[in-house]
Amino acid sequence: MTDPVLSIERLSVDYEVGAGTFHALADVSLEVEPGHVVGIVGETGCGKSTLAQAIPRLLPEPPARYRGGRIVFQGTDLVTFPKWKLPTLRGTGIGMIFQEPLNSLNPSFRIFDQVAEAVRIRQLRERGRAPAVRDEGLPFDYSRPPPQPGAGESLAKVVVPSGAAEAALRRSTRHRADVRDEVLGYLRLVRINDPETILELYPHELSGGMRQRIMIAMALSEKPALLIADEPTSALDVTIQAQVLTLMKELIDEVRASILFISHDLGVIAETADEVGVMYAGHLVEFGPVADVFEHPSHPYTRALLRAAPRRYKSEAPLDSIPGSVPNLSRPPSGCPFHPRCVLARPRCKDPPGPPLDPAPPPAVAAHRTACYYAGEVALLP
Amino acid sequence: MDEAAAPVPRPRRGPLGPAVRRALLAGLASLVLFWRILRANVLSLVGFVLVAIICLTALVVVVAPHLLVPYGPTQITSETQNWQPPSWQHPFGTDGNSYDIYSNVMLALPLDLGIGIFIAGISLLGGGALGLVAGYWDRPRTLGGATSVVILRITDIFLAFPSLILALAISVSLGRGVWQTILAVTITWWPYYVRLVRGEVLAVKHLPYVSAARAAGVKDGRIVLRHILRNVLEPVVVYFTLDIGTVLVTFSTIGFVAHAIPYPSSTPEWGSMISYYQGNGLITAYPWTVLAPGAAIFITVLAFSLLGDGLRDVLDPRSRRILAGYGRGTPGGSSEEGTAAPAPATGAAGPAAAPAEGGGG
Repeated sequence: MTDPVLSIERLSVDYEVGAGTFHALADVSLEVEPGHVVGIVGETGCGKSTLAQAIPRLLPEPPARYRGGRIVFQGTDLVTFPKWKLPTLRGTGIGMIFQEPLNSLNPSFRIFDQVAEAVRIRQLRERGRAPAVRDEGLPFDYSRPPPQPGAGESLAKVVVPSGAAEAALRRSTRHRADVRDEVLGYLRLVRINDPETILELYPHELSGGMRQRIMIAMALSEKPALLIADEPTSALDVTIQAQVLTLMKELIDEVRASILFISHDLGVIAETADEVGVMYAGHLVEFGPVADVFEHPSHPYTRALLRAAPRRYKSEAPLDSIPGSVPNLSRPPSGCPFHPRCVLARPRCKDPPGPPLDPAPPPAVAAHRTACYYAGEVALLP
Repeated sequence: MDEAAAPVPRPRRGPLGPAVRRALLAGLASLVLFWRILRANVLSLVGFVLVAIICLTALVVVVAPHLLVPYGPTQITSETQNWQPPSWQHPFGTDGNSYDIYSNVMLALPLDLGIGIFIAGISLLGGGALGLVAGYWDRPRTLGGATSVVILRITDIFLAFPSLILALAISVSLGRGVWQTILAVTITWWPYYVRLVRGEVLAVKHLPYVSAARAAGVKDGRIVLRHILRNVLEPVVVYFTLDIGTVLVTFSTIGFVAHAIPYPSSTPEWGSMISYYQGNGLITAYPWTVLAPGAAIFITVLAFSLLGDGLRDVLDPRSRRILAGYGRGTPGGSSEEGTAAPAPATGAAGPAAAPAEGGGG
């Protein structure tokens, strides 16, 4: 097994605001293997988006404060990474796709200018004009032939900056035609029909799904080693959501990037992710291969979450809900964060520091870990 | 243009030739677009035409004064022609020294226009830059936050004074003269731009596309200059255009109240003209002496106010596209440029161009 692209070790992030300190992330540990898609699920306010923005250090500091832990990205600890070098890390190292495609594009610029900005940043870094985190080649293989050609355009026409194209880039980064070709290539990569017309349009002239495709094209055009998708489909309606999801699944196969996929939608995670992490109140309570976690949930919260999700669009019985409410993160419960709402809770659960993320009991596979003292009893619950 | 008409396939890339031609065509297309947008709103069109006439007149007065200005500022037209009412020979009449008022009003135009644009422009650049810095780097407990606090508190000090009184006081203490008065007004003028730009920056900088740019690895300086500045520009430019008129009024007021600019002199100014002629009850006996410079101020301020309103539409890409398509029923008129241009910039314009959900992956 190769080294993980990203490894987060006991990361804790606080928000220090006037009313007090909010423990947004507490001892979160996870790893993203090369080429894997790691999903993160949880309720609103459980720290998913904080985690997404904490990795490329996009959180405003202050009020955010890294209380402890490490974020090791390709051998570099990002928590101690100097602030002024952060732009070199973002984009080419870690790319992001945001939740609101409606506002994520600058309304004053044509699509071409927006994608070209990302393309130019990468070109400059490839030519050494701007520093990059990594010096060795491309992080993953773009030149692999695609599994099947997409609709409309042949994917073989996607511009791959290697060989002749690379040399052309070296001649002049400012060469508009080169940039234009590459921008068109990435628009085709995200299955945009008639990209020449789209280039000249402003964001408000595009639909939400189109805008999210543009965002994906922008993120991919910088060839990040890790792509963080923060609820990329949540703001779209269901049919568009399905299209974008299909696109992302195809792109995952094509570009072989490692992806951290954040969503509150269990179905989306089940379809896209290889591994899944379940978050509750800033804690990662369960982590493992997606099929195994959904098949044999070993944490009471995961089990409750799965039972609370509608299945198969049949209303056989009222949906289960989790009694109680999400804890206030400025005064989190001691010990296990879920104990006030847990049916298995016993006095021991209140004792700090709470249960560690240990391997789940069989029949779960070895890579499946859970943070519950009584994980063995979860399967026996009615 | 001859090469473009030839039936060879369009050159995708090449030497300077096609690039220059494309730039020229793009310039032409944007002029056509500008015209279409202005045409959609009668008032802004009036403002634009007025401002154009005013600027052209000022240019002629500077470059070739003999075309428009028959007499010098302090040229005694004739011993017997003092206090003449308006006539063909003296369109705005003459004053007690037999100076031609029309000539003085015309000679004051370039100065007053220049003063308005200069003071508002310096305030826009200086105050705007401070506002950008104070708005973007405002996180407390950082160096930027400290800078921001310093800028804003100094701004507040200036804003705490009634600006006209402060400008008057500075003007009086600096003494009479055009440059002294310009300095006095500029000192009180820039804080408004700091507040305006900072407010706009605060509203824009938390929008997701700024985060997206940061996530894409764009550096702070470039984010400020490209992503934020471009999106706060629209209200700021509109305010600036309206402000040219306000500066003019304030400057004239100081000239009027403080007699800050000598008159009669070789450099007449509208406010000081009004001030000079209104004293000792002369205004009731010879009203035309005050009417002409007063009307000049009124028209100039009105022209910039109307233009400022129209500029809002020009600067906003949303209303730009809609207004450009407005009243363009058939693809005739100026769409020849659109078909000749390699870029579909004008051809794809129009609200109907918004595409449906494309794709099918």
